[in-house]
Order: sequence, then structure tokens, then C-alpha cells
Amino acid sequence: MTEAPLPDGPPPAPRPVEAAAGAGAVPTTVPASAPEPPATAEGARTAGRPRRGRRAAVVLAALLVLTVAAGTYLYVATTRWQASSEGWETDARSLGQDVSGLRADLDGATAELTATREQLTKAEDRIDELADEKAQLGDDNAASAQGLGYQQRVSAAAGKVALALDRCVDGQSRLIGYLDDRASYDAKDLARYSDDVDALCDSAKKANDQLQDALDG
Amino acid sequence: MSTGPHARRARPGRRPRRRAGLAGLATAVVLALVAGCGPAPALPDAVPSPGDLVPSFASQRPPDGAQHLGTGATETVRRMAVRIRNVQCDGLSTGSGFALDAHTLVTNKHVVEDSRSLQVATSDGRDVAVASASVAKVADLAVVRTSEALPSSPTLADADPAEGDDVTVVGYPEGGKLTVTRGTVVGTTDDPLYSTLGKVLVTDASVEPGSSGSAALDDDGRVIGVVYAKTDDGRSLLVPVSTLRSLLDDTAAFTAAPSCAG
Repeated sequence: MTEAPLPDGPPPAPRPVEAAAGAGAVPTTVPASAPEPPATAEGARTAGRPRRGRRAAVVLAALLVLTVAAGTYLYVATTRWQASSEGWETDARSLGQDVSGLRADLDGATAELTATREQLTKAEDRIDELADEKAQLGDDNAASAQGLGYQQRVSAAAGKVALALDRCVDGQSRLIGYLDDRASYDAKDLARYSDDVDALCDSAKKANDQLQDALDG
Repeated sequence: MSTGPHARRARPGRRPRRRAGLAGLATAVVLALVAGCGPAPALPDAVPSPGDLVPSFASQRPPDGAQHLGTGATETVRRMAVRIRNVQCDGLSTGSGFALDAHTLVTNKHVVEDSRSLQVATSDGRDVAVASASVAKVADLAVVRTSEALPSSPTLADADPAEGDDVTVVGYPEGGKLTVTRGTVVGTTDDPLYSTLGKVLVTDASVEPGSSGSAALDDDGRVIGVVYAKTDDGRSLLVPVSTLRSLLDDTAAFTAAPSCAG
């Protein structure tokens, strides 16, 4: 039976010269200071085992270090995250209580605002009413003042009319006395005096008529 | 034990397998570690205190419902309206007006003419002393100067309103309470009373005697005209703000208001 060659694998990685001994190839050159190579392949295997063991130990040690480091990191991270979560929860509860309190305050303030707004509306309406009442009273006062002034003017006119009528009556009385004793007076003077009394009485009568018209109006 | 070529050629084939297995194991462990540590979260940041989580500045948004606490446009409109009492020699009449600035108010000519004294009151009933009054020559407009400050004044619109625009009239119809009526601009017409040159505005806002001199406002609270008359079909006539602006810009357009005392 013919020995089948091993299948071609990936190209071998560069190796130190001594590793090539395991491949069954006898080195063609040997350093001068190197120990005498084993005479057979079995000897080469016996010499390579400690090296492989050291490599495996190194690899395993590195893996162990990596594993410990990863575990340590995960432990620290978990602990920190737990603490952070508790901190956030504490903050959330504290803020939740604050929000609850503020919401109650807001409800109270909103109720007060509503009540204040209603009071403000009523106050504005009342201010409008009072302003209107004041304006109407001002109008009435102005009208009353005008009426009072009118009454004063009417009274003054009535006084003047009464005085004119009194002078008319007085003139007519004197004229009657003069006429009773007309022989003692000049006829022209009596006629002139009579005309003056008539003019005075006419003027008084017109003033009285105007006053009566004003009072009737 | 045989050390023939057959055995020597078979043994070297197992060593690479073991090394490959060892390397594979190591790679698997490393990959497992990497895969395991990959999704591992980073260390958390420090937890802030609750005070750091709350904004340190107050919200600028006013609370709901607080917009009408005496600072709204309606209150401003109310405060700028004034009631004018014209005490004449043989009677009295009332009209409306609105503040143009702190010591100036605008009303109609027929509200202030032939007066013995003018008395101005604000919407809250405060009396404001009048310093002087002047009337326009070509429009039913008058300007009254006060010696005391008026509470508020609106702004004049930049242009006359268009047909269909909303209008709000603020005044004292019948000399009564301060009243706000609303309507729309119907159009323009020639002044039927021949008291104002140019076109005047026609609106369907209700006005009454005593509303003369009321400010007509747009939706933004700006003055778009001055009420001066009403038509037989119940519409109101306004001196447009363009006429008001042009007259206010011309100092020679006004003369002293005539007095009944001569």
C-alpha cells in the first residue's frame, strides 16, 4: 500500500530553524555552537515537548489573565451600574415627589387664578358701572348747574321786570296826581311826562311778557 | 517499536493538528472573551443630583389663562377710550374720543365745538383736565390737549382697511357705559354730511349718538378710523386713518375750537 501524501494545507508560517526539525527534514546546516542534533526523529520529538508545553502554559496564562481581567471588569461594571441605577431611581423618586408637590401647587394656583380672574372681571364691570354712574352724575350736575344759572338769570330778570313795573306804577301814580292838579302845571310838561310814563310802562310790560314767555318755555 | 518510514511519516502529521487545536482553542477563548466583553457596557457616569436635572431658568411661557389679567389688547383698548362732556352755554352733549399719546386725544369737531367747557373722563372714571382743543378745517376731527396724562394710547394703522375687514368700535354710545361693538368694513363713500373731504369708510358696526369720536380698530388693535356719523340704515361712517394721519402731519390743518362764550 502506497503511503498517501498529506493534503496540502496553508503555507507554513515562518518558524525558527529548530522547529523545522519536527517536520522530518534533516537540517542541512548546523550552527557551530548548537548541540549535536538527535540522530533520529524520535529524539527530535523528545526535545520539542518542553517547548510546546511552555508555549501552551504561556497561552493558557494569557488566557487566564484575559479571563480574570474581563471578569473583573464585568464585576466592576455591574457594581457601578447597580449603584448608578439606584442613584437614578433615588433622583427619579425625589423628582417625582417634587412634581407631585408642584402639581398640587399648580392646581391651587390655577384655582386662585380662576377666582382672581372672576373677581377681576367683576371688578372691571363694577368699575365700568361706577364710572358710568359718576359720568351720569356729572352730566346731571352740569345740567343742574346750567339750570341753576338759568334760574338765577330768570330771577334777575324777574327782579328787573318787577322794578320796571314798580317804576311804571309809580310814574302813573305821579301822573294821576299831576292831572288832578293840572292847573298848577304846564300842559306841555304834563304831556311829555305822560309820554315818558307810557314808554316806561311799555318797556316794563314787554319785559314782563318776555319773562312770562321764558317761564312758560 | 518500529522506526520505519511509515511511522515517521505518520507522527509529524499529528503535531500540527494538536497545535492547530490549541491555537483554535485559544482563538475561541479570545473570541469568546471579546464577544463577551464587546456588548459589556461602559462604566456609568456619575449620577447628577436632582437639582442638576431641573432647569435653572424659569419658563417664559405664561400660565394658561393668565393672558387676560389686565394686560391684554382688550384692556388696552378700554383704557385708551375717553368720554367727553361738552358743557355748552345752553345745554350739554357727550361724545367719545381716544388717546393719541399721553396728553393728546382725538375726537370729532362737532363733539367739542361751541363749548363753554370740556370735561374728559377715562374708562375708570378718572377726570382729566383739558388744556386746549382745536378742530380740523376740512374734516370732522378735533384734537384735545390735556394737562394730565392719559392712561393708554393705541397705534395708528399704516393704511386704510379693505372692504370686508373686521372693525371694532370702542366708545360711549348715548353717553352711557363704555361699549365695544364689532362689524366689518362695507366700503367707502362720499361724505353725505359734506364735513369731510375725500372718501369716508362705511361699516356695519352699530353706533349711536355719543359714539362720535370713537376709535375704530382693526384686529391688531390699531386705529383705522374715527366714527363721526351714522346712516339712516344703521351703518356707521368713519373718517379713515389716512385722512387722520395727513391732518395730524399738517399743523396748519387745525384751528382753535370755537366757544359758545365767544
